[in-house]
Amino acid sequence: MISFHNVTKRFGSNFALSDVSFDCKAGSVHALTGENGAGKSTLMNLLAGVFSADGGEIRLRGAPIAPERPADSQRLGISTIFQELTLLGNLTIAENLFLGREPMRRGMVDRAEMRTCARAALARLGSTLDVDTFCGDLSVADQQLVEIAKGVSTDADIFIFDEPTAALNAPEVEKLGELLASLKAAGKLVFYVSHRLEEIFRFCDQVTVLKDGAHVETRPTAGLDRDQLVSLMVGRVLSQFYPERPSGPPGGPVALEVDRLQIEAGGPQVSFSLRQGEILGLAGLEGQGQRSIIRALGGLQPAVAGAVSKHEGSQARKLDLSVVQTVLAGIGFVPEDRKIEGLYLPLSITENIGIGMLRRSSIWQMARTRRDVIASLMARMEIRSTSARQLVGQLSGGNQQKVMIGRWLASGIDVLLLEEPTRGVDVGAKAEIYALLRDFADNGGAVLMISSELLEVLGLCDRILVVRQNQIVAELEGSAASEDEVMRLALTGRAANLAESHA
Amino acid sequence: MLDLKRRSRRTGLTPIALALPLALFILLCLSSSTFTSLENLANVNSQIAALLIASLGQAIVAISGGIDLSVGAVMGLTSAILVTVDPSLAVPLAYAMGIAVGLVNGLGVTFFNVHPLVMSLASMTFVQGLALLVNPVPGGVVPGYLRTLAVSEPLGLPAALFWSVGVILLAWYLLNRTRFGLRTYAVGANPASAQRNGVSAARHKVACYVLCSLAAVTAGIFLTARVGAGDATMGAAYSLDTVTAMALGGVQLAGGAGSVLGVVAGVLTLGLISNGMNLLGISPFLRAAVTGVLLLAAIGLQRREAIGA
Repeated sequence: MISFHNVTKRFGSNFALSDVSFDCKAGSVHALTGENGAGKSTLMNLLAGVFSADGGEIRLRGAPIAPERPADSQRLGISTIFQELTLLGNLTIAENLFLGREPMRRGMVDRAEMRTCARAALARLGSTLDVDTFCGDLSVADQQLVEIAKGVSTDADIFIFDEPTAALNAPEVEKLGELLASLKAAGKLVFYVSHRLEEIFRFCDQVTVLKDGAHVETRPTAGLDRDQLVSLMVGRVLSQFYPERPSGPPGGPVALEVDRLQIEAGGPQVSFSLRQGEILGLAGLEGQGQRSIIRALGGLQPAVAGAVSKHEGSQARKLDLSVVQTVLAGIGFVPEDRKIEGLYLPLSITENIGIGMLRRSSIWQMARTRRDVIASLMARMEIRSTSARQLVGQLSGGNQQKVMIGRWLASGIDVLLLEEPTRGVDVGAKAEIYALLRDFADNGGAVLMISSELLEVLGLCDRILVVRQNQIVAELEGSAASEDEVMRLALTGRAANLAESHA
Repeated sequence: MLDLKRRSRRTGLTPIALALPLALFILLCLSSSTFTSLENLANVNSQIAALLIASLGQAIVAISGGIDLSVGAVMGLTSAILVTVDPSLAVPLAYAMGIAVGLVNGLGVTFFNVHPLVMSLASMTFVQGLALLVNPVPGGVVPGYLRTLAVSEPLGLPAALFWSVGVILLAWYLLNRTRFGLRTYAVGANPASAQRNGVSAARHKVACYVLCSLAAVTAGIFLTARVGAGDATMGAAYSLDTVTAMALGGVQLAGGAGSVLGVVAGVLTLGLISNGMNLLGISPFLRAAVTGVLLLAAIGLQRREAIGA
């Protein structure tokens, strides 16, 4: 149905895609995968009309096409569910679904028709959200669902799903699977861009792997296993993915003591301690309070009550939870959205890291940053860039995240809080970031992280605290915990042997 | 009330924005005996009709995420054109001028990436200069038919009331019932997202600036006809007054939220304050000072995230 012939796209002097050629059949789900910066989003953006190709040809049913605007591509019957949410908070669900193709009656927008169609589109995803709700009032997961409903409510033949499950929970992913199957049965072609291997194997018939803008392989998923796919993506075996945990039990002195921290008035209190040399993970379903806890510790969200103290040697210091205080006390926070809350995209790598070194200097002191320190840090972290003066906004997601972490390392902190440490980071850089975090812990640092990717928590953390409804319901040994066990605790708050009644 | 709160994402309306004109009305009823006379109420209506027309235009630009400070200058140039050009050509020429100014503002903001404040300050200065060149001294004769349209009293009601109701209905229909309106809210909230949904954000913004200038021309025509003489500087206060009025009515300067009802409430608030100060014998210069404070208060009270703080 769609074929790519030697498709090439340049950004400046960099080839984002070079000579990519492969075919896709109608009535199939075609996975597109590869590291970040491999060119999969770029390829889909060509199809979606966001960019135009510099060379080669895209053919739709044999005829060459060159959409120049998203509207062109929609007219050709290509519907895109973009990675970034494109919903508008001040429009209702129904209005968002039909923006750009509003049904009209007698010169006016036909709102009744719009609502009916919107309800039908949501129903296909098993959602009963009120279509008059403003999208700004929805949770991220619901927004993602609406985004998907929007994509499939168009009368298109080709659907592009770009990382559709980033914010979804397990039951919703299940529904998405059913939806994909029904699109396939209707003879549509679905492109499924994802990093998540399990979903590729579950949902997709074919998989195309891209690497550094070049086509590596297009194969049926049936003949592949996980390790093979990962080695196609990075040329690395999966078992080396997570760094080894230290052999002994985590017995370092306490670094951060959290005592009866309360996020909401009347809400539950949490207490736990973070030790030097360990990586501690907060696991749980989306929106169960892990985020609020880590944000409160980072000083980004006010807590109602509770005491947090930081231990240095034998001294314990009580902290006021504000950003300035936590940073001065040597606690670094890596936010989920590094582009908005963390990095200075229009500034260079040197400046982004260097600002961390100035943490304790007075405001009138000359802002001196040590170039040699930054250079060695960049080499150690394997930050891939043209030079230390390259702007952070031009780096790939993985390298941006390394810069973000590098800033804290350069500032000499000893407690690192991370939200979604590898969101939007490609597989290769993920492994490098994991190694960095382990290295930081091995040298006496303490790491607290939250992640919606359970495998990441299981693979990396020494201890896992399962959070459910703003409470810590269990503490597990990282090396001994299983995916099943954590999910069960996160869903029901009870361990396996007590959960028969929930089956 | 719950719905007002829920819908405020779109309308920007707050209970205070709606209560303010009512409270002022009651206050004035109690403190001045002449306020409630039909004559005075008709007078208030005439005084605020021009502000209402121009503010609705300003609100459309604001909802789309921009601001237009050239409104007052466009009113002034309209006035200058009306008393210097042949009566049969005056009105079409004034509207053509409005379209031109709107296009320049819109194209400058979208295709040349000039900040709306800078763009419209530049065009304001240019247009104001042009207006004074055409009609340096206030005066001249307003075409008779316009005079009739502005000051007659059909059915015993002031003409200003018909102008006001007309533009309110027009603006309401445009913002709430048409594709244009929905897309204006979308573009104002996030132009990049709107673009990805197949809406041409740039073209849409240009259209909003053109509409705003057309509204300013209409306001200029009404005001000139009512005063009965041309005055190149008569719009001077309107550039900021329109911004104040719509901000009082909850229209978000950051774009994406606002309502016709809110603009009406904001215009009434400003109009009643002005009329009240007049009735109570307070210096008209103080009115300008009060408008400044109101502008600050209205924008200061806008949703924090909306103004990027």
